[in-house]
Amino acid sequence: MPSIDNESAILATDLQKSYGSEVALDSLTLDIPHGTVYGFLGPNGAGKTTTMRLLTGLSDPDRGSVRVCGVEASDRRAIAGRVGYLPETPPLYDEFSAREQLEYVADLRDISRSDARERIDEYLDQFELADDADKRIDGYSKGMKQKTAFIQSVLHDPDVLYLDEPTSGLDPRAARTIRESITAFADAGTTVFLSTHILPVVEAVADEIGVLFDGRLVAEGTPTEVQARAETDETGSLEDAFLAVTSEPETGMMSQSE
Amino acid sequence: MSLRQDVRYGLRIGRAEFIRSLRRYLGNPRRVFGLLITALVFGGALLFALPAAYVLGQTARSVTAIPFFAPAVTLATLGLFSTSVFRTLERLGHIDASEFVLLAVHPRAVVIGLITAEMGRLSLWFGIPVGAVVITFAFGLGAPLLVASGGVVALPLICCVAVWGHAAGIAVLRLLRQAPRLRRLLKPVGIFAMVGLVVASQLAGQLLVESDISARPLFSTFAFDPLVEYVGLTFVGTPVSQPISLAAVGVLAALIALIPIGLAVSTKQVSTLWFTDPVDENTSTQVRRSSGGFSVPRPFAWTKAGRIAWGILVRARRDPAELSHLLIVVFFIAPFGTLLVEFSADAIGPLIAGAGVVLAPYLSGATFGLNPLGDERPQLPLLLLIEAPAATLVRGRLLAGIAIGAPVALVGSLVSIGFGMTVPQASVTAAVGATMCLTAAMFAVGIGSAYPIYEERKFWGTETVVPSTLVMMVFLFVVGGGTVLGLFVTWFALTGNIVLTPVFNVFFGTYLLLTVGVSYGSYRYALRRHRRYTLA
Repeated sequence: MPSIDNESAILATDLQKSYGSEVALDSLTLDIPHGTVYGFLGPNGAGKTTTMRLLTGLSDPDRGSVRVCGVEASDRRAIAGRVGYLPETPPLYDEFSAREQLEYVADLRDISRSDARERIDEYLDQFELADDADKRIDGYSKGMKQKTAFIQSVLHDPDVLYLDEPTSGLDPRAARTIRESITAFADAGTTVFLSTHILPVVEAVADEIGVLFDGRLVAEGTPTEVQARAETDETGSLEDAFLAVTSEPETGMMSQSE
Repeated sequence: MSLRQDVRYGLRIGRAEFIRSLRRYLGNPRRVFGLLITALVFGGALLFALPAAYVLGQTARSVTAIPFFAPAVTLATLGLFSTSVFRTLERLGHIDASEFVLLAVHPRAVVIGLITAEMGRLSLWFGIPVGAVVITFAFGLGAPLLVASGGVVALPLICCVAVWGHAAGIAVLRLLRQAPRLRRLLKPVGIFAMVGLVVASQLAGQLLVESDISARPLFSTFAFDPLVEYVGLTFVGTPVSQPISLAAVGVLAALIALIPIGLAVSTKQVSTLWFTDPVDENTSTQVRRSSGGFSVPRPFAWTKAGRIAWGILVRARRDPAELSHLLIVVFFIAPFGTLLVEFSADAIGPLIAGAGVVLAPYLSGATFGLNPLGDERPQLPLLLLIEAPAATLVRGRLLAGIAIGAPVALVGSLVSIGFGMTVPQASVTAAVGATMCLTAAMFAVGIGSAYPIYEERKFWGTETVVPSTLVMMVFLFVVGGGTVLGLFVTWFALTGNIVLTPVFNVFFGTYLLLTVGVSYGSYRYALRRHRRYTLA
């Protein structure tokens, strides 16, 4: 069970990041409470992956700060056990089998051998990988790799879980397994920061969403609120809202405070 | 978290990285075969080295009497440091699956892990032969404990050199990241430096053999006495031991002190490198543009194969790293550089023309022909389903290669006119060179299609798909040998030194038949492979 601090799970203040003359992220502020599933949306090139890297401490911002469960993201020793991260490209070693990979992760995360074995078996069963657990990862399909990487990111029971396109390229059954896992983790108190293009996934699991466009947060709130503020008609979906807010770059941020 | 904990994590990472390397080496039968050949070639040298080491051990009366001991110690230490720097530039500057590792442990643990794994890999490559020589020497000396004392003395030295080499390598990587233009410049400079080094090594060897210069005083200038005295501690307790000097103890103390300092410097450097995004124009979000569409100049525009060739040339121009496999020729051509120095001025013209003719067929075939299917791997689903026949695709590749190679033969012949070649001689040489370009390119696409390589690998610091080493070797020997033979016949014909005897006619006829027949057969095979190719 994740530990709960008084401070927000993710608190990002005035984040700015530039690559040369191009501003990738401009004055991004996020305040995400514990146990929330936060859907992070944005078109390609909006700055979502940059945001993820800043929030995990894997990249330093040019300006602003990030705190995760009250800990500065730049304090790598303190943050290590609190966050799990599944990037878009699964960080796996092709030369290992899934079981070896997960045992290696458990070893680096100081999970006791017996606990690790128990958790790994449980997750492998849950994600229907048990029969292939001893095959080398280079022989895995994209879905199998994604599921292994997902297990790897949650094996140490993190307080905050960052997921970058976790269901991309998965078959419906695997996608559903991951979706259900996200909900289960959130119910257990884990904060999930979910970046994806698949809007039905966000609609199904997110408590709150933020829409990033051109490096700026242009909409934030519950899915219903964002739909309402995007001034789509009553039958409008989240997709309509997304298209509406990401086609008007001059529009100021629409938030609950408006 | 303490240093002890980081060391523990580092050793786990090191073990995992080492196992991964081992599985990569052994997981590919082609690599295993290559390793076996390497072991066979270099293992043969041990047959001479081991008896020599034994005799050396038996005859050694003091450490200073061991031939080249002092410069060998100093140069080996410098060599290790350079290896550490270069390996950091090439491989140890990052860790695979960094998103997971860097979120699990501190960068210091990662540094320890990377260096540990590298030391394991180096031990795997060099540990057995070096160990065998040392053990044999120790037995010759009658002091088997020398092996253990040698290990104890070497460990702090190797650790210190490895850690500081890593720190220096990371510093260079940071500098290159800050100055992308310098990085782009460094690649061609590095290539020229290496060619220069190969040529210089040939000249130096020749100079030492031919002149009266003694190697011993030359090498003794490389000796760093305190370091030599420290390594001399290895012999404590043996018949050749020398008194322990203050300098030796001082070096030991310095090495032990420098290891944690080097580790701290390295950790600080990698933290900045890994957690600061690149400033490099190429990896930033800036997009390179190409306006005007796919406009093909004449004469390429005249045929579909020509337009395909132009596409291949444009891609190569925009990503020259794809052609890094061409550099392998340096090892074969550079030694001949000394010939240019040796030859008198009246032969320099034919030499330049000849060099052009030798290089031109190599470029025509090797540039785009040695892995035609592998180079197109991502595009094959498109290429195999388009209307253009396989012959057009293959001819496009031939043309692209010839477009690179033929001008080299032409320029070589033109330049040679300025060095005494007559215009008819230069013209004939150029024509022969151009013909050989065609035969080499046709031969290349055939052997390249026979053994396609799809997976990317690190080659000369670039992650790219390179042709099989076996295919490159076969191409080099067949085309190189054939070209040189043809060149000699051409030259003798031009200077009127050929007598048309029946034996010559048979030999020359066979040569022509083989050149044309093998090339055409290879080309036909490439067509067949392209037509029947199915995706795995």
